[in-house]
Amino acid sequence: MKIRKFVLLGSLVAACLLLLTLQMRGYGSAARDAFAVVTAPIQTGLAKASRATFGLWATYLDWKNVRAENRRLREEVQELRVQGLRVTETSDENRRLRRLLALQEHLPLTTLSGEVIAREWGGWIRSLTVNRGRGDNVPRLTAVISPSGLIGRVVDVRPGVSIVQVLTDPTSTVGAHVLRTRTPGIVEGDPRGTLRFKFMARDGASIQTGDVLVTAGQGGLFPRGIPIGTVRTIDNRGAALFHYAEITPAVDFARVDEVLLVTGDAQHDLTAFFPAGG
Amino acid sequence: MRALLVLTIAGGSVAHATLTPLVSIAGVTPDLPLIMVVLLALRRGPEFGSLSGFVTGLLQDAAGGGLIGVQAMTKAVIGFSIGAAGARLRVSQPLVQVPGLVVLTIAEGLARFALLQIFRFPAPFGELMMYVVLPQALCNGFVGAAVVLALAWAQTVRGRLEGSRA
Repeated sequence: MKIRKFVLLGSLVAACLLLLTLQMRGYGSAARDAFAVVTAPIQTGLAKASRATFGLWATYLDWKNVRAENRRLREEVQELRVQGLRVTETSDENRRLRRLLALQEHLPLTTLSGEVIAREWGGWIRSLTVNRGRGDNVPRLTAVISPSGLIGRVVDVRPGVSIVQVLTDPTSTVGAHVLRTRTPGIVEGDPRGTLRFKFMARDGASIQTGDVLVTAGQGGLFPRGIPIGTVRTIDNRGAALFHYAEITPAVDFARVDEVLLVTGDAQHDLTAFFPAGG
Repeated sequence: MRALLVLTIAGGSVAHATLTPLVSIAGVTPDLPLIMVVLLALRRGPEFGSLSGFVTGLLQDAAGGGLIGVQAMTKAVIGFSIGAAGARLRVSQPLVQVPGLVVLTIAEGLARFALLQIFRFPAPFGELMMYVVLPQALCNGFVGAAVVLALAWAQTVRGRLEGSRA
């Protein structure tokens, strides 16, 4: 049994030596060719299989990477959108504040800038809450304006805040006149949240849609010449003493964020300081 | 079982040549057929060890493009030696497996070099030992130990499964 093992080993070694000797004497190519006939198809198959397997794996990894990248990019896009919104918001605020500052600097009035911090928009009352109050020496009935025109008046002063009655409040009335014709009248708010101009029929015969209304400045509450709105429609009531005109407000009360409170003397004509008045 | 063994030996050797780049670790390729021959020789004895070593080496030679017969002879001798000494070797310990495979790889490298010299095949000894044989020996040591541990684990699992079935 032991001899068989050694005989086998001896045979194998002898076969190897024979193979090596044959190769050294130039007979190796035939043996190699014979091996190649057997091994080449196996190698080709294995190479294809490994390539396919690793190709699949690579595809899976790529897909996984793409997915992860996609998620990352989505998050980045989301972040950039938020940043973009912030930039837009800041830019808008900057623009509004610049306009407000420009108006404040040009107006021949003592004014105090304020920020709208709350809105009461129910219909019964239409008001804004501004972050200027008793501590800022804001007097009651102070006129409140914006670069676009008149907003209303302060009706209540509290510590830290003031309540501004907006022109569209149902109890709000402001003396006004048509800029083009000087037709006097009263601008009233109504519960629908719109403005109407009440004027005497004999005075307002020539009022047209698109005419600009500005404050009359009588009574000393509002400076003269602050835009209130433009005539949208005229309600001709025939022989009635008073006629009415629907007014489109110069200020979008729902969107106004920064205001000026006219804290000083209001006896000035401001027509030239507002675009509508120019 | 025999068919599976033949497939393992033949397929493993050819696969080693084909899939070499995929199994290299830090640029060093373990000699998987050598590890396979050692394991088979330990389990099945010197005859099977020498025969499997011969076939494996022959296929490796053919696939590699060198002198056919060099690795066939070295691996046949290694398979025989390990198979013959198998009963006296304690190969279940990684502390034996790693240095054992390192020594075997170096011995095979030296034998290959000697054969190449005898048959006047050019081979730089120092560089071969430094950049090929020694790194491969270390690699074989660790990969071989891992394979032995994996086989032992597989056997344990198999034993448990069979036990639970019974």
